Amino acid sequence: MRTFVFLIIVLISGAFAGTIHGVVNFVIVEPYLDQAIGIENQNLFASGEEKDTPEFWVEYEGYRVWQKSGQILAGTILGTSIGALFGIIFALSRNSLPGNNDVKKAVVLSGIMWFTLFLIPFLKYPANPPTVGDPETVILRSILYLSFIAISGFGALAFYKLSKKFQNNRKLVVLIGYGVFISVAFFAMPENPDEITAPMDLVNEFRIVSFLGVTSFWVSIGLILGFFWNRLGPHKETTTSYN
Amino acid sequence: MQINISKSGIPIFAIVLLAIVFVFGLFFVGYDQGHIFSIVLGEQAFEDLYIHELTHDMRHAAGFPCH
Repeated sequence: MRTFVFLIIVLISGAFAGTIHGVVNFVIVEPYLDQAIGIENQNLFASGEEKDTPEFWVEYEGYRVWQKSGQILAGTILGTSIGALFGIIFALSRNSLPGNNDVKKAVVLSGIMWFTLFLIPFLKYPANPPTVGDPETVILRSILYLSFIAISGFGALAFYKLSKKFQNNRKLVVLIGYGVFISVAFFAMPENPDEITAPMDLVNEFRIVSFLGVTSFWVSIGLILGFFWNRLGPHKETTTSYN
Repeated sequence: MQINISKSGIPIFAIVLLAIVFVFGLFFVGYDQGHIFSIVLGEQAFEDLYIHELTHDMRHAAGFPCH
Protein backbone atom coordinates (compact mmCIF):
# COMPACT_ATOMS: atom_id res chain seq x y z
CA MET A 1 0.00 0.00 0.00
CA ARG A 2 1.20 3.48 -0.83
CA THR A 3 0.38 4.96 2.54
CA PHE A 4 0.97 8.63 1.77
CA VAL A 5 -1.29 8.51 -1.30
CA PHE A 6 -3.91 6.63 0.74
CA LEU A 7 -3.93 9.23 3.53
CA ILE A 8 -4.00 12.19 1.14
CA ILE A 9 -6.90 10.92 -0.99
CA VAL A 10 -8.92 9.94 2.09
CA LEU A 11 -8.48 13.35 3.73
CA ILE A 12 -9.04 15.33 0.51
CA SER A 13 -12.13 13.30 -0.43
CA GLY A 14 -13.63 13.86 3.01
CA ALA A 15 -12.87 17.58 2.91
CA PHE A 16 -14.39 17.94 -0.60
CA ALA A 17 -17.52 15.97 0.28
CA GLY A 18 -17.89 17.89 3.54
CA THR A 19 -17.54 21.21 1.73
CA ILE A 20 -20.28 20.14 -0.69
CA HIS A 21 -22.43 19.26 2.36
CA GLY A 22 -21.74 22.70 3.83
CA VAL A 23 -22.61 24.49 0.58
CA VAL A 24 -25.82 22.47 0.14
CA ASN A 25 -26.80 23.32 3.73
CA PHE A 26 -25.95 26.96 3.17
CA VAL A 27 -28.39 27.07 0.26
CA ILE A 28 -31.27 24.88 1.44
CA VAL A 29 -31.05 24.64 5.26
CA GLU A 30 -30.10 28.20 6.27
CA PRO A 31 -33.54 29.73 5.44
CA TYR A 32 -35.17 27.26 7.87
CA LEU A 33 -32.56 27.97 10.54
CA ASP A 34 -33.26 31.71 10.20
CA GLN A 35 -36.99 31.07 10.48
CA ALA A 36 -36.56 28.87 13.57
CA ILE A 37 -34.21 31.34 15.27
CA GLY A 38 -36.75 34.08 14.53
CA ILE A 39 -39.35 32.10 16.50
CA GLU A 40 -36.78 31.52 19.25
CA ASN A 41 -36.22 35.28 19.49
CA GLN A 42 -39.96 35.99 19.66
CA ASN A 43 -40.23 33.44 22.50
CA LEU A 44 -37.39 35.21 24.35
CA PHE A 45 -39.21 38.57 24.00
CA ALA A 46 -42.53 37.05 25.09
CA SER A 47 -41.02 35.44 28.17
CA GLY A 48 -39.16 38.64 29.12
CA GLU A 49 -35.74 36.94 28.97
CA GLU A 50 -34.67 39.45 26.30
CA LYS A 51 -35.92 42.86 25.19
CA ASP A 52 -36.62 43.78 21.57
CA THR A 53 -34.05 46.57 21.46
CA PRO A 54 -31.52 47.77 18.82
CA GLU A 55 -28.73 46.48 21.10
CA PHE A 56 -30.26 43.00 21.03
CA TRP A 57 -30.34 42.99 17.23
CA VAL A 58 -26.75 44.25 16.93
CA GLU A 59 -25.56 41.42 19.16
CA TYR A 60 -27.82 38.95 17.34
CA GLU A 61 -26.50 39.92 13.90
CA GLY A 62 -22.94 39.57 15.22
CA TYR A 63 -23.26 35.96 16.30
CA ARG A 64 -25.59 34.95 13.45
CA VAL A 65 -22.91 35.99 10.93
CA TRP A 66 -20.38 33.92 12.91
CA GLN A 67 -22.78 30.92 12.95
CA LYS A 68 -23.60 31.18 9.23
CA SER A 69 -19.99 31.61 8.19
CA GLY A 70 -19.18 28.45 10.14
CA GLN A 71 -21.63 26.31 8.16
CA ILE A 72 -19.23 25.55 5.30
CA LEU A 73 -16.09 25.38 7.48
CA ALA A 74 -17.84 22.98 9.87
CA GLY A 75 -18.93 20.96 6.83
CA THR A 76 -15.31 20.65 5.71
CA ILE A 77 -14.16 19.59 9.20
CA LEU A 78 -17.03 17.13 9.72
CA GLY A 79 -16.53 15.78 6.19
CA THR A 80 -12.81 15.21 6.81
CA SER A 81 -13.70 13.43 10.05
CA ILE A 82 -16.41 11.13 8.63
CA GLY A 83 -14.30 10.72 5.47
CA ALA A 84 -11.45 9.39 7.64
CA LEU A 85 -13.77 6.69 9.01
CA PHE A 86 -15.02 5.97 5.49
CA GLY A 87 -11.43 5.66 4.24
CA ILE A 88 -10.49 3.17 6.98
CA ILE A 89 -13.54 0.99 6.29
CA PHE A 90 -13.11 1.22 2.52
CA ALA A 91 -9.47 0.17 2.69
CA LEU A 92 -10.28 -2.76 4.99
CA SER A 93 -13.35 -3.95 3.07
CA ARG A 94 -12.44 -3.09 -0.54
CA ASN A 95 -11.78 -6.68 -1.58
CA SER A 96 -15.18 -7.79 -0.25
CA LEU A 97 -17.24 -5.01 -1.81
CA PRO A 98 -19.19 -5.71 -5.01
CA GLY A 99 -18.34 -3.80 -8.19
CA ASN A 100 -15.75 -4.04 -10.95
CA ASN A 101 -14.12 -0.69 -10.19
CA ASP A 102 -13.38 1.42 -7.16
CA VAL A 103 -16.07 4.02 -7.86
CA LYS A 104 -18.77 1.33 -7.73
CA LYS A 105 -17.23 -0.24 -4.63
CA ALA A 106 -16.99 3.13 -2.84
CA VAL A 107 -20.57 4.05 -3.78
CA VAL A 108 -21.84 0.70 -2.44
CA LEU A 109 -20.01 1.29 0.85
CA SER A 110 -21.24 4.88 1.12
CA GLY A 111 -24.78 3.57 0.58
CA ILE A 112 -24.37 1.02 3.37
CA MET A 113 -22.89 3.62 5.73
CA TRP A 114 -25.57 6.17 4.78
CA PHE A 115 -28.22 3.58 5.68
CA THR A 116 -26.72 2.30 8.95
CA LEU A 117 -25.00 5.42 10.33
CA PHE A 118 -27.42 8.06 9.09
CA LEU A 119 -30.85 6.89 7.92
CA ILE A 120 -31.66 4.46 10.76
CA PRO A 121 -30.50 6.86 13.53
CA PHE A 122 -32.28 9.73 11.71
CA LEU A 123 -35.58 7.81 11.77
CA LYS A 124 -35.25 7.35 15.54
CA TYR A 125 -33.77 10.73 16.42
CA PRO A 126 -34.48 13.11 13.51
CA ALA A 127 -32.73 16.47 13.20
CA ASN A 128 -34.42 19.40 14.89
CA PRO A 129 -34.16 23.13 14.19
CA PRO A 130 -33.34 25.69 16.90
CA THR A 131 -36.31 26.35 19.27
CA VAL A 132 -36.73 22.58 19.60
CA GLY A 133 -34.62 21.15 22.39
CA ASP A 134 -34.33 21.72 26.11
CA PRO A 135 -30.75 22.69 27.09
CA GLU A 136 -31.20 20.59 30.25
CA THR A 137 -31.47 17.38 28.20
CA VAL A 138 -28.72 18.03 25.64
CA ILE A 139 -26.23 15.60 27.23
CA LEU A 140 -28.84 12.83 27.42
CA ARG A 141 -29.88 13.44 23.81
CA SER A 142 -26.25 13.47 22.66
CA ILE A 143 -25.59 10.14 24.41
CA LEU A 144 -28.75 8.59 22.93
CA TYR A 145 -27.95 9.76 19.40
CA LEU A 146 -24.30 8.68 19.44
CA SER A 147 -25.16 5.36 21.12
CA PHE A 148 -27.77 4.52 18.50
CA ILE A 149 -25.35 5.32 15.67
CA ALA A 150 -22.76 3.04 17.34
CA ILE A 151 -25.35 0.27 17.93
CA SER A 152 -26.45 0.43 14.29
CA GLY A 153 -22.92 0.54 12.86
CA PHE A 154 -21.42 -2.18 15.07
CA GLY A 155 -24.59 -4.27 14.61
CA ALA A 156 -24.19 -4.19 10.82
CA LEU A 157 -20.49 -5.05 11.15
CA ALA A 158 -21.20 -7.93 13.55
CA PHE A 159 -23.80 -9.51 11.24
CA TYR A 160 -21.45 -9.10 8.27
CA LYS A 161 -18.71 -10.94 10.20
CA LEU A 162 -21.19 -13.58 11.34
CA SER A 163 -22.40 -14.16 7.78
CA LYS A 164 -18.91 -15.24 6.74
CA LYS A 165 -19.41 -18.42 8.79
CA PHE A 166 -22.30 -19.45 6.54
CA GLN A 167 -21.74 -21.25 3.25
CA ASN A 168 -24.97 -20.05 1.60
CA ASN A 169 -27.40 -17.13 1.84
CA ARG A 170 -24.82 -14.79 3.35
CA LYS A 171 -26.61 -11.62 2.24
CA LEU A 172 -29.87 -12.94 3.67
CA VAL A 173 -28.20 -13.62 7.03
CA VAL A 174 -26.91 -10.03 7.17
CA LEU A 175 -30.21 -8.48 6.07
CA ILE A 176 -32.47 -10.52 8.37
CA GLY A 177 -30.05 -10.51 11.29
CA TYR A 178 -29.41 -6.76 11.14
CA GLY A 179 -33.10 -6.08 10.45
CA VAL A 180 -34.28 -7.96 13.55
CA PHE A 181 -31.46 -6.59 15.71
CA ILE A 182 -31.96 -2.94 14.77
CA SER A 183 -35.76 -3.22 15.04
CA VAL A 184 -35.42 -4.41 18.64
CA ALA A 185 -32.88 -1.65 19.39
CA PHE A 186 -35.10 0.93 17.67
CA PHE A 187 -38.03 0.24 19.99
CA ALA A 188 -35.89 -0.42 23.07
CA MET A 189 -34.01 2.90 22.92
CA PRO A 190 -35.66 5.76 24.84
CA GLU A 191 -37.48 8.44 22.89
CA ASN A 192 -36.20 12.00 22.57
CA PRO A 193 -37.43 13.46 25.90
CA ASP A 194 -38.16 16.94 24.51
CA GLU A 195 -41.61 18.10 23.54
CA ILE A 196 -41.83 19.86 20.16
CA THR A 197 -43.42 23.27 20.59
CA ALA A 198 -42.38 24.77 17.23
CA PRO A 199 -44.77 24.61 14.24
CA MET A 200 -44.68 21.07 12.82
CA ASP A 201 -44.58 22.35 9.22
CA LEU A 202 -41.30 24.10 9.97
CA VAL A 203 -39.89 21.08 11.83
CA ASN A 204 -40.84 18.64 9.04
CA GLU A 205 -39.50 20.85 6.26
CA PHE A 206 -36.29 21.36 8.24
CA ARG A 207 -35.93 17.58 8.57
CA ILE A 208 -36.36 17.12 4.81
CA VAL A 209 -33.65 19.64 3.90
CA SER A 210 -31.38 18.27 6.63
CA PHE A 211 -31.89 14.78 5.15
CA LEU A 212 -31.01 16.07 1.68
CA GLY A 213 -27.89 17.81 2.98
CA VAL A 214 -26.48 14.75 4.77
CA THR A 215 -27.38 12.54 1.81
CA SER A 216 -25.42 14.88 -0.49
CA PHE A 217 -22.38 14.17 1.70
CA TRP A 218 -22.68 10.39 1.46
CA VAL A 219 -23.22 10.48 -2.31
CA SER A 220 -20.21 12.80 -2.70
CA ILE A 221 -17.82 10.85 -0.49
CA GLY A 222 -18.49 7.60 -2.40
CA LEU A 223 -18.01 9.20 -5.80
CA ILE A 224 -14.98 11.32 -4.91
CA LEU A 225 -13.00 8.70 -2.96
CA GLY A 226 -13.87 6.07 -5.57
CA PHE A 227 -12.68 8.35 -8.37
CA PHE A 228 -9.37 9.15 -6.65
CA TRP A 229 -8.83 5.51 -5.70
CA ASN A 230 -9.45 4.40 -9.28
CA ARG A 231 -7.03 6.96 -10.67
CA LEU A 232 -4.23 6.69 -8.11
CA GLY A 233 -4.51 3.09 -6.86
CA PRO A 234 -3.09 3.50 -3.34
CA HIS A 235 -3.67 -0.23 -2.68
CA LYS A 236 -0.97 -1.25 -5.15
CA GLU A 237 1.95 -3.08 -3.61
CA THR A 238 5.12 -1.25 -2.70
CA THR A 239 8.33 -3.23 -3.06
CA THR A 240 11.46 -2.45 -1.10
CA SER A 241 14.76 -4.00 -2.22
CA TYR A 242 17.62 -4.78 0.18
CA ASN A 243 21.09 -5.75 -1.09
CA MET B 1 22.03 -11.27 -2.44
CA GLN B 2 18.89 -9.15 -2.90
CA ILE B 3 15.75 -9.39 -0.75
CA ASN B 4 12.47 -7.89 -2.02
CA ILE B 5 9.74 -7.12 0.52
CA SER B 6 6.28 -6.33 -0.88
CA LYS B 7 3.71 -4.53 1.26
CA SER B 8 0.01 -4.41 0.37
CA GLY B 9 -1.65 -4.07 3.80
CA ILE B 10 -2.68 -0.85 5.53
CA PRO B 11 -0.10 0.31 8.08
CA ILE B 12 -1.46 0.54 11.62
CA PHE B 13 -0.20 4.10 12.01
CA ALA B 14 -2.36 5.17 9.03
CA ILE B 15 -5.45 3.67 10.66
CA VAL B 16 -4.59 5.27 14.01
CA LEU B 17 -4.00 8.66 12.36
CA LEU B 18 -7.35 8.54 10.53
CA ALA B 19 -9.11 7.34 13.69
CA ILE B 20 -7.72 10.40 15.54
CA VAL B 21 -8.94 12.68 12.72
CA PHE B 22 -12.38 11.02 12.94
CA VAL B 23 -12.75 11.39 16.72
CA PHE B 24 -11.38 14.92 16.87
CA GLY B 25 -13.53 16.19 13.96
CA LEU B 26 -16.66 14.56 15.33
CA PHE B 27 -16.08 16.09 18.77
CA PHE B 28 -15.20 19.50 17.31
CA VAL B 29 -18.33 19.80 15.20
CA GLY B 30 -20.82 17.76 17.18
CA TYR B 31 -20.03 17.98 20.87
CA ASP B 32 -17.60 20.72 21.95
CA GLN B 33 -19.13 23.07 24.51
CA GLY B 34 -15.97 25.08 25.17
CA HIS B 35 -13.78 22.08 26.09
CA ILE B 36 -11.11 22.59 23.40
CA PHE B 37 -10.58 26.32 23.98
CA SER B 38 -10.71 25.80 27.76
CA ILE B 39 -7.20 24.33 27.45
CA VAL B 40 -5.91 27.87 26.82
CA LEU B 41 -8.78 30.13 27.95
CA GLY B 42 -9.84 28.25 31.09
CA GLU B 43 -13.41 28.52 32.42
CA GLN B 44 -14.14 31.54 30.18
CA ALA B 45 -14.24 29.18 27.15
CA PHE B 46 -17.41 27.54 28.53
CA GLU B 47 -19.07 30.98 28.51
CA ASP B 48 -17.79 32.14 25.10
CA LEU B 49 -18.60 28.87 23.26
CA TYR B 50 -16.71 30.00 20.13
CA ILE B 51 -16.58 26.54 18.55
CA HIS B 52 -20.17 25.75 19.53
CA GLU B 53 -21.38 28.92 17.82
CA LEU B 54 -19.13 28.37 14.78
CA THR B 55 -20.48 24.86 14.26
CA HIS B 56 -24.02 25.70 15.46
CA ASP B 57 -25.73 25.64 12.06
CA MET B 58 -24.00 22.45 10.93
CA ARG B 59 -24.86 20.76 14.24
CA HIS B 60 -28.55 21.33 13.65
CA ALA B 61 -28.35 20.52 9.94
CA ALA B 62 -26.38 17.30 10.48
CA GLY B 63 -28.74 16.06 13.19
CA PHE B 64 -26.58 16.54 16.31
CA PRO B 65 -28.43 17.61 19.45
CA CYS B 66 -27.40 21.25 19.94
CA HIS B 67 -29.29 22.92 22.77
